[in-house]
Amino acid sequence: MAGSGTVQLRDDADVLLRVENLVMEFPVGRHQVVHAVSDVSFDVRRGETLGIVGESGCGKSTTARALVQLPRPTSGRVILDPGSDLEIDMTTLSGSSLRQVRPRMQMIFQDPISSLNPRRRVRDIVGEGLVIWQDDKGGSSTRARVDEVLNAVGIEPEVAADRRPHEFSGGQCQRISIARAVAIEPEILICDEPVSALDVSVQAQILNILEDMKARYGLTLVFISHDLSVVRNVSDRVVVMYLGKICEIGGADTLYLEPAHPYTRVLLASAPEPAATVDPSDAAIGDEIPSPINPPSGCRFRTRCPRAADRCASEEPQMRAVGDDHFVACHFPTLA
Amino acid sequence: MAVTDGSPLLSVSDLRVGFATERGLVRAVDGVSFDLAAGRTLGIVGESGSGKSVTAKTIMNLLPSYARVEGSVTFDGRDVRALASSGARHFWGVEMTMVFQDPMTSLNPVKKVGEQIAESLRVHLKRSRKEARDEAGDLLEQVGIPEPRKRLTQYPHELSGGLRQRVVIAMALACSPRLLIADEPTTALDVTVQKHILDLLDGLREERGMAMILITHDLGVVRGRADDIMVMYAGRTMEQADTDTLFSEMRHPYTEALLETIPRIDMPSHSRLVPIPGRPPDVIEVSTGCPFAPRCRSCTDVCLTERPTLDEQGHGHVCACHGPVGTDVGAMARSANEASGVTPAGLDMAAFGSAGVEAGDGS
Repeated sequence: MAGSGTVQLRDDADVLLRVENLVMEFPVGRHQVVHAVSDVSFDVRRGETLGIVGESGCGKSTTARALVQLPRPTSGRVILDPGSDLEIDMTTLSGSSLRQVRPRMQMIFQDPISSLNPRRRVRDIVGEGLVIWQDDKGGSSTRARVDEVLNAVGIEPEVAADRRPHEFSGGQCQRISIARAVAIEPEILICDEPVSALDVSVQAQILNILEDMKARYGLTLVFISHDLSVVRNVSDRVVVMYLGKICEIGGADTLYLEPAHPYTRVLLASAPEPAATVDPSDAAIGDEIPSPINPPSGCRFRTRCPRAADRCASEEPQMRAVGDDHFVACHFPTLA
Repeated sequence: MAVTDGSPLLSVSDLRVGFATERGLVRAVDGVSFDLAAGRTLGIVGESGSGKSVTAKTIMNLLPSYARVEGSVTFDGRDVRALASSGARHFWGVEMTMVFQDPMTSLNPVKKVGEQIAESLRVHLKRSRKEARDEAGDLLEQVGIPEPRKRLTQYPHELSGGLRQRVVIAMALACSPRLLIADEPTTALDVTVQKHILDLLDGLREERGMAMILITHDLGVVRGRADDIMVMYAGRTMEQADTDTLFSEMRHPYTEALLETIPRIDMPSHSRLVPIPGRPPDVIEVSTGCPFAPRCRSCTDVCLTERPTLDEQGHGHVCACHGPVGTDVGAMARSANEASGVTPAGLDMAAFGSAGVEAGDGS
């Protein structure tokens, strides 16, 4: 699947973040290149949650990191406030000008324990961004803000702020990570598999906290996960990725009710309790994802696709609309 | 489909496992009993720390020597713990095998895949080098690995996660076990691969008439795949029933909470999830009352002082709860808690709705 094109981009004033033709390649060995992300375009409206879903190796984490220029993408643009007077293309910035923009985006990672410095106290971890960015330098307003965000994620500052990360469970560490991320009032929160390492009971707590943070601080979320049920629950709009390309973009409920890409159907049918809108036999594809060093010609999903035909090998499908705010890159979509 | 001739293949009775630590005795498993017949699958479900893996490791004789084990485990009429002390070599890995969560750590990274599978055939079944090698190829074919003969000479790092887990399953099946224990076999794998591995295990169980224990934290995984389900919490059985009964007549508030806390794929976007507040208890102190009471929506005063017994609910359905879901007692307890806003254990009922955060204020 997996196609290129930019028809899915929306042209309105509400768009906060736009990614155009993002390409991320890493050199490996002699004259070989890993095509981790190849020509991906999407946008996120202010206050929206965009979910990115796909198997391991589909480029979803690489995409997330490219948004904050870690590292800088091979080509393509990452634009904040597109179309407005304040438009900034992050890929053109470097040094101090990039530093000035970065506080607008914060990240939360999969492993909450390894993303907190074990030698520092919770108060210092959560307040570090404030100390760096505020004139107050750790004074009373920093303390007040740290207390506020810790309370907001359900951690009692009086009890917890002077402890170190090893004294907390994984779920509590993830709450602290969230508090740290929202402390400096970012506009965009990028969550890379934030619940994959957590117990089921804790997963719901964290997902609910993210929803609360969004309402409380007016955040825009980019949420990455391999679990379609989780992505559907938190997202307004979902991007399905496969081997560095976008397969399908649409509303979270639309994708579930009217999946158009054969790969989206595979994901829906593979859930432990398969979606009722697809046939369980749709899950019948091979295990093996082709190598991103040498991806298949044409549509990258064709080697595992039940609908693949000759055309899929010769011609790469372009993104096209199949419904209201519903786009798919497939020569033979399963609807319309 | 179940082959039952009266006596179960595996019978676990009042199993207790403790570990002595500096802080006291950790009661990892606290009085668990179940029977498993040949050809059937038992699903064991619970959060981390509920004792499900320790139960499996006790059956497999994989516990460290300082573990204190009480109770009995019988396999095909033989006392498994007596076998362990007599040093029976050809029992574990032959009649009873186990598949673990992380396929990379179950495989030896510096040995070829074929040698690793052949090893148990040579040690336990005394096959020659060539016979063992041929059989290893057949096993890889059975577990659905493409180009099995070529894979025999590869190292684990050359295979993807899904293929590695298939190799581990092939190793487990090498000596035709009668019981296979799969401990979170798909947690480390992608959804697409997860389904294939679970289908594979299910197919092999049916084909070989094996008994299987499937351990998971996800009720969705065992639904439709296990014949019976046992829900564990704090080392104890909370509820046990055949799968259909468990889902249609769910009795324990913990089982209900486990099911409600997982986002399901058919739930509309932005459905509010019902979290299980708090976290599993330390199993160090001897607690009076129900271990789940501090996190339970239907908690009553009696839950804090009196340990519920595992009572028969009909058709082999057992449940340890003072106020089960779907009964008048349970419904009254829950509505009383909702009315007062706080459970007798001191838990704010708001924790089930908004995780202790005033959602949306100020917006």
